[in-house]
Amino acid sequence: MNGFRQFKQMFLTQLRMTYREKQAWFWGIFFPVILMVIFMSIFSDNSDNDFNANVALVNEHPNETSEMLLQQISHIPVLEIETGEPVTREEAEEMVADQEVNAAIVLPEADDDTSLLLIVNKEDEQGIVTQALTGMLNEFVHQANLFAAGAEPIYEIEYEAITSGDTEFSYTDFLLTGMIALSIAQGGIFGMVDLVDMRRKGLIKRLRMTPADMNMFGFSDMVMRLIFSVVQIILLSLIGVFIFGANLFINFAGLIVVFLLGALSFNAIGYFFSSFSKTTEAFMGIANIVNFLMMFLSGVFFPVETMPDWLQPVSNVLPLTYFVDGLRETMIYETSIFNAELWTGIGIMILWGAVTFMLGSWLYKRQSIVATR
Amino acid sequence: MSVLEVKHLKKSFGPVRAVEDISFSVTAGEIFTIIGPNGAGKTTTLEMIEGLVPPDEGEITFGEMDWRKNAAAIKKKIGVQPQSSAMFDLLTPEENLNLFASFYDRSRSAEDILQLVNLTDHRKKHVKKLSGGQRQRLAIGLAMISDPEIIFLDEPTTGLDPQARRNIWDIVLQLKELGKTTILTTHYMEEAEKLSDRVCIVDQGKVISIDTPAALIDQLTEEREVHLIFLDGADAAESAALFSDDLGSVSRTERDGSSLTIWTAHPEDTLYQLFSYTKERNFQVEQVSIREMSLEDVFIAFTGKEWRD
Repeated sequence: MNGFRQFKQMFLTQLRMTYREKQAWFWGIFFPVILMVIFMSIFSDNSDNDFNANVALVNEHPNETSEMLLQQISHIPVLEIETGEPVTREEAEEMVADQEVNAAIVLPEADDDTSLLLIVNKEDEQGIVTQALTGMLNEFVHQANLFAAGAEPIYEIEYEAITSGDTEFSYTDFLLTGMIALSIAQGGIFGMVDLVDMRRKGLIKRLRMTPADMNMFGFSDMVMRLIFSVVQIILLSLIGVFIFGANLFINFAGLIVVFLLGALSFNAIGYFFSSFSKTTEAFMGIANIVNFLMMFLSGVFFPVETMPDWLQPVSNVLPLTYFVDGLRETMIYETSIFNAELWTGIGIMILWGAVTFMLGSWLYKRQSIVATR
Repeated sequence: MSVLEVKHLKKSFGPVRAVEDISFSVTAGEIFTIIGPNGAGKTTTLEMIEGLVPPDEGEITFGEMDWRKNAAAIKKKIGVQPQSSAMFDLLTPEENLNLFASFYDRSRSAEDILQLVNLTDHRKKHVKKLSGGQRQRLAIGLAMISDPEIIFLDEPTTGLDPQARRNIWDIVLQLKELGKTTILTTHYMEEAEKLSDRVCIVDQGKVISIDTPAALIDQLTEEREVHLIFLDGADAAESAALFSDDLGSVSRTERDGSSLTIWTAHPEDTLYQLFSYTKERNFQVEQVSIREMSLEDVFIAFTGKEWRD
């Protein structure tokens, strides 16, 4: 049948063009992988609860209380005593100033002295380590107080960690899904530069001189792009899981739906940009601006909630925010397609796709009447 | 038998009137050339005929068919090589041909076409690595893939070196041997004269004249320009000029140093008499030439404008 023969040749053409276009490989495969590896290497290492604080201990006037505290503090596993032995207060202050240690703890100077002094660097005053040390010492002092008063604690905290499997979610999972969403969105938008290039070279016009089915040509392009995106998902997931230890709990039906709708929506946005870009440079300019805005405002690298309040409404209208969310839901939390909240987000994303597609089609139609050469 | 009929085409782009009034009819099997300077409206005319641009006014019919009713059928009947020679640069000539072949129910094999346009040796090269001439040949090949009855070639040799241009001419003449109707545009007069069965001269969106190259030149003038250079210098030329002026067939003469130009309706008689005269006087003639009239002269005569390539 001619229809099938035509589709086969068109698809082969798209496949060959993608395969032979070095830029497609760089931006579609190499770039996201490098970006992900860099981000994961920077942020993932400290995320596995390996909290450690380096402290100096000052015990200038050893006494019974200070000796007892010294012994107990040296048993706290996350505290590393820099010198092993107590140092003088002067030495300790110097070490803090030079940031050789996170903090110095000055032990009570007499038996009846009941206060512990924590010395920290001004720069680190609000830092996580300082906060954690303060909390730790508070707890320590509190326990000591109870013990001194001979009282038993009445309330205590019990911990229970909840995950969908037996594993905790980490920044790696968060970043991996964000990167996958970003790559697919970028592929969808930037891929449409071909259309501008084809129009500029007169290829669209050339095809219109033949009985070629232009809808089929567009469809073959889309199929190629989807396949390319599947390769991106698989490659990034493999790297994330096997190299950085990401944990994925995938709801496949949900993932496929979110993926297809997302890829199409971002294609539509790229199609819209292509409809008013006369040159590939103009297209790339617009696409880059939009890409950068979305990249940092859509919760790819950091949760949207951590952004300043005034920026959050911007995030809440961007389509990538919802695509990232959708992929996270279906790839990490195993959310099914019957989840209403999932559809609210996807709905906003589809709205973007539908509106930009209609605007793009309208602009293309208008141009083909007015501008012919 | 007419395969294409164009009547009173008009097209404006905003305030620019690209085509004002163009009519012609093309017969099966001929090479019909539309010639004119840049901006004369050749490409716009062709694009209207190819169905890419709707005309503001006028009629285009392929036999019984027109674009409004029979677009799909016309597309199967025609093959187009556009001026931009657009094709997929990252594909090879063979892959481009196979892709284009898939658009048609009936097509020739890529192999045949590669042979026809002499690209068999370059079949596996990416198109972006082809030379200008090879690219242009492939563009003609793509127009040929569906084995169309009518082929449109829009300035196929523009920007090519003389050898590459000659290669294209060979292909065009081969198309004629295959019985195809070819509609060609060019702004090279020599090309139009060499290839065309009939020439349609256009300027500023209007048809100036349509006929065979020979008839166009003939209708222009019966006078020929004869050019002589004398070895004996200005005196001999002057003397010969005076003699020629008295001959009935000579309309005027022009002398510049030792060279003499004579305009005559009967170059052979004039030269016979002139040579008898020079022999008598023992003048030595170093060089004689009769200038052929060309389409360029036809263009100048019709428009009063200099021809510029």
